[in-house]
Amino acid sequence: MAEDIQQKLEKYRTAPFDARFPNQNQTRNCWQNYLDYHRCQKALDAKGVDTAPCDWYKRVYKSLCPLSWIEKWDTQREDGTFPGKI
Amino acid sequence: MAHQAHAYHMVDPSPWPLTGAIAALLMTSGLAIWFHFHSTTLMTLGLILLLLTMYQWWRDIIREGTFQGHHTPPVQKGLRYGMILFITSEVFFFLGFFWAFYHSSLAPTPELGGCWPPTGITPLDPFEVPLLNTAVLLASGVTVTWAHHSIMEGERKQAIQSLALTILLGLYFTALQAMEYYEAPFTIADGVYGSTFFVATGFHGLHVIIGSSFLAVCLLRQIQYHFTSEHHFGFEAAAWYWHFVDVVWLFLYVSIYWWGS
Repeated sequence: MAEDIQQKLEKYRTAPFDARFPNQNQTRNCWQNYLDYHRCQKALDAKGVDTAPCDWYKRVYKSLCPLSWIEKWDTQREDGTFPGKI
Repeated sequence: MAHQAHAYHMVDPSPWPLTGAIAALLMTSGLAIWFHFHSTTLMTLGLILLLLTMYQWWRDIIREGTFQGHHTPPVQKGLRYGMILFITSEVFFFLGFFWAFYHSSLAPTPELGGCWPPTGITPLDPFEVPLLNTAVLLASGVTVTWAHHSIMEGERKQAIQSLALTILLGLYFTALQAMEYYEAPFTIADGVYGSTFFVATGFHGLHVIIGSSFLAVCLLRQIQYHFTSEHHFGFEAAAWYWHFVDVVWLFLYVSIYWWGS
């Protein structure tokens, strides 16, 4: 598993099996990756480091989440009403 | 003159079951009328009829048991079963609301922020008034037990004092909760947190009021010499109900106030 993040992103087809979310209801999978992407962005930005590794989470949530949810959450983040902790 | 050859109580015909059923009908249809046509007349009528039914039905039971001697040991056994079954049904009633609370709080949805308490909710500090409320109800459990022993030992004055103290503690709880409700930073309309909190604690508060009223009736009866040291089932039923109310509070406190914060 010595692949770097760039190779993983190039090979990406769709969200892989995540043992944290083994069941049919994948809501939490989508939610967690959405949060993880934005938290990753925030943390790496604060350190002044390249945020490319964060793109994995973005790919996953883009694969899993309904578009309406992404739009709703993006709007909430802009308005400052997003309920999740980023 | 005919006498019964058994120890059971064949109750005389009574109008109160009918008036009770009519009251239930008027209250439910009155509720619908209130919702759709903004009139509270029918519901109020139902409520008055309900109060009259309760007063007269229970007055008649006291007459039959205390004054006419119909509550023989087997009859009393049946009354005990009845009260136990009723309290059991109330346990299941509360179980539903606890189910609802745990359903929503164990797996909080994204709309809530994926956390419990939900984003934006400031829960009450469990170690302030809620803890005092716990102490008040636990103390009232002690005083009601003191009252029971006083009655069994024929200590009239102590029975009256401890029963009165129990009721005062119950009223103190109610007053404290009312103040908490008024001062709370969230309302019943604040998402599933508000709904589960106020419905569960609200029904509990209603049961505290009912229990306090039941104990108050027992106090009046004790003052009027209804209870003997051997036979005081009305009091026992009230005490069982009061302990049930206390236990429900303990579960509420641990689940909603403490774990849920």
